[in-house]
Amino acid sequence: MSRSSFLATLAALVLTAPVAVHAADAPIVITGARVVTVSGGILENASIVIQNGKISSVGSGLTAPAGARTIDGRGKTVYPGLFDGLTYLGLAEVTQGASGTVDMNETGDINPHAKVWVALHPDSELLPVARAFGITTALTAPGSAQGGASLIAGQSAVIRTVGDTPSALTVKGPIAMHMRYPSGAPVVDFSQGPPNVEPKTFEQRVLERKKNQEKDLARLKGLIEEARAYGEGLSSGASLKVDLPMEALALAASGKIPVVMRANAEADIKGAIKFATDNKLRLIIAGAAEAWRCVDDLKKNDVAVLIGVDQLPTREADPYDAAYANAATLHKGGVRFAIVTDDASNSRNLPLEAAMAYAYGLPRDAAIRAITLSPAEILGVASNLGSIEPGKTATLIMTNGDILDHRTNVTVVIIDGKETSLENKHQRLYDRYKARP
Amino acid sequence: MKKANSNSAVFLGAALAIIIAGAPSQAQDEVTAITNAKIMTVGPAGTIDKGTILIKGGKITAVGASVVVPPGAVIIDAAGRVVTPGIIDAHSHTAVEDGVNECTNIVTAEVRVEDALDPRDISIYRQLAGGVTTANVLHGSCNSIGGQNATIKFRWGAESGAALLFKGAPPGIKFALGENPKRSSFTTGTRRYPATRMGVEVSIRDAFLEAKAYKKEWDDYDASLKAGASAGPTRSGRSAGGLGGGAVQRPPAPRKILQMEALKEILEGKRLVHAHSYRADEILMLIDVANEMGFKIATFQHVLEGYKVATEIAKHGAGASTFSDWWAYKMEAYDAIPYNAAIMASHGVLVSFNSDSDELARRLYWEAAKAVRYGGVSEDEAFKMVTLNPAKQLKIDKWVGSIEVGKDADLAIFKAHPFAPDTRVEMTLVDGKVLFDRSKDVAARKGVAATLGGGQ
Repeated sequence: MSRSSFLATLAALVLTAPVAVHAADAPIVITGARVVTVSGGILENASIVIQNGKISSVGSGLTAPAGARTIDGRGKTVYPGLFDGLTYLGLAEVTQGASGTVDMNETGDINPHAKVWVALHPDSELLPVARAFGITTALTAPGSAQGGASLIAGQSAVIRTVGDTPSALTVKGPIAMHMRYPSGAPVVDFSQGPPNVEPKTFEQRVLERKKNQEKDLARLKGLIEEARAYGEGLSSGASLKVDLPMEALALAASGKIPVVMRANAEADIKGAIKFATDNKLRLIIAGAAEAWRCVDDLKKNDVAVLIGVDQLPTREADPYDAAYANAATLHKGGVRFAIVTDDASNSRNLPLEAAMAYAYGLPRDAAIRAITLSPAEILGVASNLGSIEPGKTATLIMTNGDILDHRTNVTVVIIDGKETSLENKHQRLYDRYKARP
Repeated sequence: MKKANSNSAVFLGAALAIIIAGAPSQAQDEVTAITNAKIMTVGPAGTIDKGTILIKGGKITAVGASVVVPPGAVIIDAAGRVVTPGIIDAHSHTAVEDGVNECTNIVTAEVRVEDALDPRDISIYRQLAGGVTTANVLHGSCNSIGGQNATIKFRWGAESGAALLFKGAPPGIKFALGENPKRSSFTTGTRRYPATRMGVEVSIRDAFLEAKAYKKEWDDYDASLKAGASAGPTRSGRSAGGLGGGAVQRPPAPRKILQMEALKEILEGKRLVHAHSYRADEILMLIDVANEMGFKIATFQHVLEGYKVATEIAKHGAGASTFSDWWAYKMEAYDAIPYNAAIMASHGVLVSFNSDSDELARRLYWEAAKAVRYGGVSEDEAFKMVTLNPAKQLKIDKWVGSIEVGKDADLAIFKAHPFAPDTRVEMTLVDGKVLFDRSKDVAARKGVAATLGGGQ
């Protein structure tokens, strides 16, 4: 670096640094807002004081700390930051036709030691887009719903949707071990051209799938037992050869982290519950399209589910609104659930999926809880996230209307006590082209 | 539930209810009245806060705040509800399961979606439950020039595919540009032509050069027939007793080629081109080819970068039918933005939202609401994007797309404003017939559950 450019850089630092530090660390007071706390009801005309990245107080008649910046919340609503409890945000950019940008599915069947937080892409254009529409927090998980996922896909992390490095994005990891329940249902996929099925009878295929399922389950069981023994060996101080898969899987086998298993069909959901019970795993089910058929089993075993809403019924004879009403049925039955997008580019539509659940019977407060506090609880980060309470991390959003309304826009996003930019690729292109003659 | 001529009127707040006065069949001369409804006509009458719609013979015969209900009419009391025109989906593949893509050639203009319609596709019913009454069922996007579309009504219960067809709707055809005809997102190994956007352009140009030659052959033939005909009796000489030696030789007819017939109709302006497209460059390419070859593009479908070339689309006179906010699922969708509809509309393009999906189709009314959020389109204009605008794009707006006297009684009855978060479709009518009724659907489930549960 030449002397002059060094001086210029130094000058820039001197000039900008105090301002930047002040802006980032200054306390924030949101005044006069409608505050949907989620954990403590709705407060009208309330204030929120944010200091040192935390919510220090919520309510009325609060005093602003010295040097606080005020955000006028009149006519606005404040919600906890939206929490998408199953995504691949930061893990894939363009899923079809740009495989170089896709890092969800490792090869091979047994990848417990694959960790998403080493592969997050901080400059993914998908992150600011999600953030600008209120998604502050997400579970980024390996193993996609579209297929190609390993039997054991790896470990997920809860991320914040802002940060310059993978570790800055990561709130906590590992959160869970992600697996695919080996389905026993025979699948004939006609979606990509002519059916590529072997000339076998339906019965033969059913038997084959069953056999494969049993084989996979036996294999999983064996691995979990082995990992449990390995983990016990490690904690007893035995000198064991380093075995990365076993070391990782031991986290789930010992119950330190839960297992998220993908299962949609009734038989698979019930099978996953039985498998988890037999093998002493803490289970969360992802997908769970037919969870409404399994309310008693889920409730009895206290298994939480991560569900989507905007989906077709799984069976032709099912009610047309089976997926829309899934959440309401689970809520009524006392099953713990979160509404998730299981997506990345569409993650911003999370509140709109909750809206459909609301339109089909889920109470309004439960719909908002399903995209804020419930995922935080299910994924074990509710001590800091998911609701607006003193002491929790100041991760919240302000809107110009009902978050369940498609017409509503997010106006302010605060993550860890810092107001973040709403600038994103879509806004940029809009600004560039809206007035093109 | 009530009869117009009875005193036993019962107001039902929770569920819509119908009572049929007299015979239970919906005869041609029978009148149905939807009463006490908020009516979003999407037509010149705007929104009527509390009004009545009369339906007879499948058509709307009256709409307004002070319409008198004739005695004996079937009454649908829609107090507290919002009645809208049926939703129109300008891009659908419903009812053509396993018949969407004739993928084997670059040009498959000869194949017809209407030959593969399945009236029993459960998606028809599921979409009625989302207020959809009409769909533009398109061939897939496998080829530069794909097959012929079918504009259909969701006449659930119809016995044949033919019974779904929208009578009077002009025929159309699918074109496709970019990654899908290139097959780059789908195929590995050996690819068929075209494999580049250059090849896509060539394949369309080639096809139209051939079609123009074919058309000329037929035009010349038709002209010579006409010339012969105008020569009157001397043409055959039959007027002279059938023995006239001076008969004019009838020219041999050119061979009819089904593929060329479809392209000829495009050149003649009789067949609407619906062009699947994503990137701005390929949109401009097709406009150039169309201008050169002398045909018009009716709609660009998806048209996710339409906002970059909105002026050019407007100048060509093409409509644009887009997704509300899907993006980044493939490279050519990486610059897709949810403000696309707003920008194109502000540049004078006729814009609609489509589903291209049996799932998304069921909530198109909410897709339209996103145009308010992204770019500040007015609520009325946004709702047109799933009603009147797609009707205009498909050139069926004299029958559907708004609630006006003389138009088809294709209606959706919502629980609340179609953009509201607590709304849902309660009832859907096609040609004046109630084909979806949520209260009946929910009631029927109990019966089904009892049957399947097999308690005894």
